[in-house]
Amino acid sequence: MASDGQIVASGEWHPANSSLSVVARLTETSTGLAVERVPSGEILASGGLAGVQISPRVGSIPRRIDFADGSLFETTDNDAIDRLLARSGRRATGLVHKLERFHPRLIVLVVATFLMAGLVYRYALPVLVEVAVAVTPPVVPKIMSVSTLETMDRTMLSPSRLDAGKQREISAGFAKIAALSTRGAAGYSLNFRAGGAIGPNAFALPDGTLVLTDELVELADGDDEMIIGVLAHEIGHVELEHSLRQIYRAAGMAGLIMMIAGDVGSSVEDLLVQGGGLLALSYSRSAEEAADRHSVELMSKAGFDATAIARFFVLLENKLGDRSGTNMLSTHPGTPERRKAILDYESALRAKRQN
Amino acid sequence: MAINESAPLPAASEDWHRLSFTGSGKEYFGIWIVNILLTIITVGIYSAWAKVRRNRYFYGNTVLLGRGFEYHAKGMQILIGRIIVFGYLIIYNVLLTIVPLVGIALAALILVLLPWLVMRGLRFSARVTSYRNVRFNFVGGVGGAFLAFLVGPVLAVLTLGILTPLASRWTYRYIGNNMRYGTKAFTTDPGLGAIYKTWFLSALIILLGLLIIGFVVFINMSIVFAVIDNPQGIPPELQVPMIVMGVIGYLVVLLSFGIAALVYHAGLRNVAWSSTVFDGKHSLKSDLSRFGYVWVTLTNVLVTLLTLGLMRPWAAVRMARYVNTHTAVRFSGDVGEVFAIVQKDGSAVGAEFMDFEGFDFGF
Repeated sequence: MASDGQIVASGEWHPANSSLSVVARLTETSTGLAVERVPSGEILASGGLAGVQISPRVGSIPRRIDFADGSLFETTDNDAIDRLLARSGRRATGLVHKLERFHPRLIVLVVATFLMAGLVYRYALPVLVEVAVAVTPPVVPKIMSVSTLETMDRTMLSPSRLDAGKQREISAGFAKIAALSTRGAAGYSLNFRAGGAIGPNAFALPDGTLVLTDELVELADGDDEMIIGVLAHEIGHVELEHSLRQIYRAAGMAGLIMMIAGDVGSSVEDLLVQGGGLLALSYSRSAEEAADRHSVELMSKAGFDATAIARFFVLLENKLGDRSGTNMLSTHPGTPERRKAILDYESALRAKRQN
Repeated sequence: MAINESAPLPAASEDWHRLSFTGSGKEYFGIWIVNILLTIITVGIYSAWAKVRRNRYFYGNTVLLGRGFEYHAKGMQILIGRIIVFGYLIIYNVLLTIVPLVGIALAALILVLLPWLVMRGLRFSARVTSYRNVRFNFVGGVGGAFLAFLVGPVLAVLTLGILTPLASRWTYRYIGNNMRYGTKAFTTDPGLGAIYKTWFLSALIILLGLLIIGFVVFINMSIVFAVIDNPQGIPPELQVPMIVMGVIGYLVVLLSFGIAALVYHAGLRNVAWSSTVFDGKHSLKSDLSRFGYVWVTLTNVLVTLLTLGLMRPWAAVRMARYVNTHTAVRFSGDVGEVFAIVQKDGSAVGAEFMDFEGFDFGF
């Protein structure tokens, strides 16, 4: 028995679950589709168009037409299958395949890809980071800070050897600026430690725990105002939630790179990861600058010398011989540049106030 | 229904039938750029469907005896697998920063689950692959995966790579002896001696790299002494040679280890595939030229980087063509009809986990 249908395409037909195949052709009949053996015309499989599954087109790999009985017709004549689908009112080729075809339009897609990658990095990623920061419960930075301080106490820091009077002096100055910060004096706690390996340093943990090392106090050589300036900088990091942002940003970048890793291959993936690292450093440098400006604002509000922190950079330059410039591998901007930026910002602020 | 007149697989012949790759860089370019663009626009969600289209393209163009392979995974399956793996990674990383102890516990949990994940991943990948309407399958258990993917790598690291061939042999035996095509089995037993031969060449390449570094350091002893004398600050006049030395050292390490790894990978594939037999009598063969493989890989990376990634489709197609044309099958006697066993694909979690962690055992 042969169907009197219209021939659609020729190919091969497999019975259900079998590797054997016969040369066959697909025909379109009044009731749907049928596969007939070539040349005898014996019907091997048939079904309504709605009951068969036709695989979406990818490049020019063979098309599968799966019948309800589990048998399979396969053809390389993709265009014929597209025409069949178009005749039956289904979308002939997927929109995706249409986009994928080699065509001058692909240049637009290339440009769009670079543009979108830039936009996602520039706008979507920061928005996602802000959302993540907003939904992070306050307990998270709390736990983070407690465990970080614990680890540091165990490994690098030791109890402060400063005398109690000195500690009180610095704490009193610190309380003044903390009271003027957004979180208020209760939002911060100042801790004195001997720095050990980390030397003259001050750092802030995201819950408002600040650590000041004895070495920095010694380096200041009695200039308490300068120390308060440095602490105001650390308050800036806390208020601007820099550490949470940095964590989320790094995670977001890693996630985005992972998503396209399969397409770009491992060498480009590695390069993107390295590039992401460099961008994270630039983000870290701009965070330092923002915290510097925060110090200037807070110090001037508290009636201290607004540029006290700049004196700290002079010290770094003179005593430690740090005259390094900024390069793309640094986490902090170069010391002389930072000092200049602080002085500039302060005079700009003063000019604004006078107007 | 009589379908005996068709001879889909060849009768007995002593010819090797090579695989070929029928895709082109030009055709793949469109698929590739649309994959990336839609992945970016959908903030990663499309990446699951992108993977399906990419694999369908590469499997479909991998042709043996006039018929291509097929990849059957669905975008939704892959997406669910990705979400689960990705979610776990996020939770793990967040906990690692916040409560390091819980994070470490989660890492340990992954280590315990690893053999199971690898086993399920291999099974999923096999089950979504077909040739001539018959799907592959993987029947390996958790114990074998434990030996091949945990004990093996740990032994290899602890012995500074000396026992790597043993680990590789376990891996290929685990994969090769548990692979099925329909109801018929593959068997393999790569010889340890043959793997050591290719390992030895890689070890020599690494030694050569270390020798070059030693030589560079030796002729620049003055700088090294200056650094030892004055560890705080390097005199400015020595900073440039110092940086040049660092860059040369980095490149030599990268190149020698990279080339050694590629040579080993190609040599191992040759040994393992060439000792694999299908259905007890049909032989498989891989005859990659080890340095040809290194050349194709390195030039691919170079061209891709120089064109900001735009030549990546060309590079991927070039690699597929190179590997396929060095892979062959010889049929001894009629293969006859192979019947498929119908089974569920299962979840894609294991396969996606292997993807994220960089395991690569494509068929």
